Amino acid sequence: MQQDTVLVVGGGPAGLAAAANVTSAGFKAVMVEKEDVLGGAPILSGYAKLVPSGEWAKDAIGRMVKRVEDDSSATVHKGAKVEKLEGEAGNFTATLTNGESVQAGAVVLATGFTHFDSINKPEWGFGTYEDVLTTTQMEQMVGSGKIACPSDGRVPERVCILLCVGSRDRQIGREWCSKICCTVSANLAMEIKELSPETDVFIYYMDIRTYGLYEDKFYWKSQEEFKTKFVKARIAEVTASGDGRLLVKGEDTLVKRPIVIPFDIVVHAIGMDPNADNPEISQVFGVGLEKHGFIEKAEQYTNTCGTTRKGIYSCGAAYGPETIDDSITQGAAAGGRAVADLHALVSKAG
Amino acid sequence: MAIHEKALIEDERLQQHDELVVDGVDVSGHWNTMIAPRTVRDYDDDFESKIQGYAGGEYVHRCWQCGSCTNSCTMYAQNVQFNPRYWIYLTRLGMKEELVKDKDIIWQCVSCNKCTNICPKDVKPEGVMKALSHWMEEEGITEKAPSTIFDEEFADQIYKTGRIEDGKVAQNFFKKTGQPLLQEWLKLFVFRMMKHLPVKHLMRMGFNTVHTPRTKSWGKTGDVLKNYVREQKEAAHG
Repeated sequence: MQQDTVLVVGGGPAGLAAAANVTSAGFKAVMVEKEDVLGGAPILSGYAKLVPSGEWAKDAIGRMVKRVEDDSSATVHKGAKVEKLEGEAGNFTATLTNGESVQAGAVVLATGFTHFDSINKPEWGFGTYEDVLTTTQMEQMVGSGKIACPSDGRVPERVCILLCVGSRDRQIGREWCSKICCTVSANLAMEIKELSPETDVFIYYMDIRTYGLYEDKFYWKSQEEFKTKFVKARIAEVTASGDGRLLVKGEDTLVKRPIVIPFDIVVHAIGMDPNADNPEISQVFGVGLEKHGFIEKAEQYTNTCGTTRKGIYSCGAAYGPETIDDSITQGAAAGGRAVADLHALVSKAG
Repeated sequence: MAIHEKALIEDERLQQHDELVVDGVDVSGHWNTMIAPRTVRDYDDDFESKIQGYAGGEYVHRCWQCGSCTNSCTMYAQNVQFNPRYWIYLTRLGMKEELVKDKDIIWQCVSCNKCTNICPKDVKPEGVMKALSHWMEEEGITEKAPSTIFDEEFADQIYKTGRIEDGKVAQNFFKKTGQPLLQEWLKLFVFRMMKHLPVKHLMRMGFNTVHTPRTKSWGKTGDVLKNYVREQKEAAHG
């Protein structure tokens, strides 16, 4: 019977939390993940230690994956997408790209986000210089346990992290703050210093938004204990110095002076874009997108986790830039909400 | 064309040859004026820890540039060039040349500690001002402060003899700071001490032990008083 089943689309932190909550309420979960592995961005992009727990992504998210994979009430379709969705709340039929069909009473869209592609900011050197990296690449380097310049393997004397790459930038149509990059960058600065104590880390910022409890645990700690230097400058351009280093050009707004500073590695703190598949998701599931291209919320105060279509719920970074912890919380909430609405439907019918 | 607003440019950045001929064309004077760029080309990564080595500078790395120190500063209210927030930033990034430009005002901090009190990151900016002043003194960027000379003389005597002689400390301090030994205040001090020495008072005490003086125009006041006390006692006890 479809009314005891919830279809969860996306196997990242939010989807995994949603599925676990659905089955723990005695319902069945069917998970559809387009990649061949579960775990979402933290696993696919090889994140290092997570904020704020400090646990390695493969351990923390690995536990969530195992919980779902070991769950007899959960079915997982990997390497598959939902092609077509028919029916209405309480009675959906989804056709998957692997040819299977799923009967479900509710759908949770845990479809997440897409990392901003730094190629879209060519003036900052990504794709031009080997030693210009993104935060995800730097996380992978931290995961490998050795900090070195990709160009020639030397230990960097100086690394800088440029904040707001693909966020808060009308020029490229990203009019949102990606919320997590400040904290992730402060955390990354500490990880770099820990692995390579002779490397000095600089963070170029417009504002620092290590909100809530991230303030002292990440911003203050990286500054006070790990000697990360925060420089208020929006970088204009990254160029080569001619001696194998990179030159970072900008204006230091606090001293009203132009700067051209040599660095060995430049890291882009890339933001969170709406999932590149969102136009397709919007079509297939018949849900609206808000003005930035994320999934549109329903009326927020009495229909939490809702979308513009009844019976379809969403959570986490599908709604907008979100932290892993909050994605998990929202995923659990969406799973719970889906189950609660189904329960009400069944009682009403019964 | 001549530069009209030279006041906006630091002197050392204005470059001009009084006589210059290029390819047979005379471009002497303002025709060849160039302005050196203000671009910051590098940071001095070791400078911050150097300042942290001076008492008071230990917490400079905590600063996040909110500007509370400058905003609360007694001296800033007098002179907007006095900007602790800015100097802390220069210290953090090692922009020494910029700091040296303000060598004649950094030491003017009056240690009111309003900045220390208000700083949300506990940087202790007042301490940083002290640390910077001491660094400048030690590097010979500014002259030694009289207080430093005094401290050195004081310590030297301790090293040599294990004790200090106040007179000698003062004498050597005046000598080293190029001040006359007979200071005006010292003359006044000795004069007043002599004037108020209790010589006359001692003599009077001796005389009074032999001859008992009475308060001027005392007359019958003693009898009246005695009478009054007796009456009060009778009134109280019947």
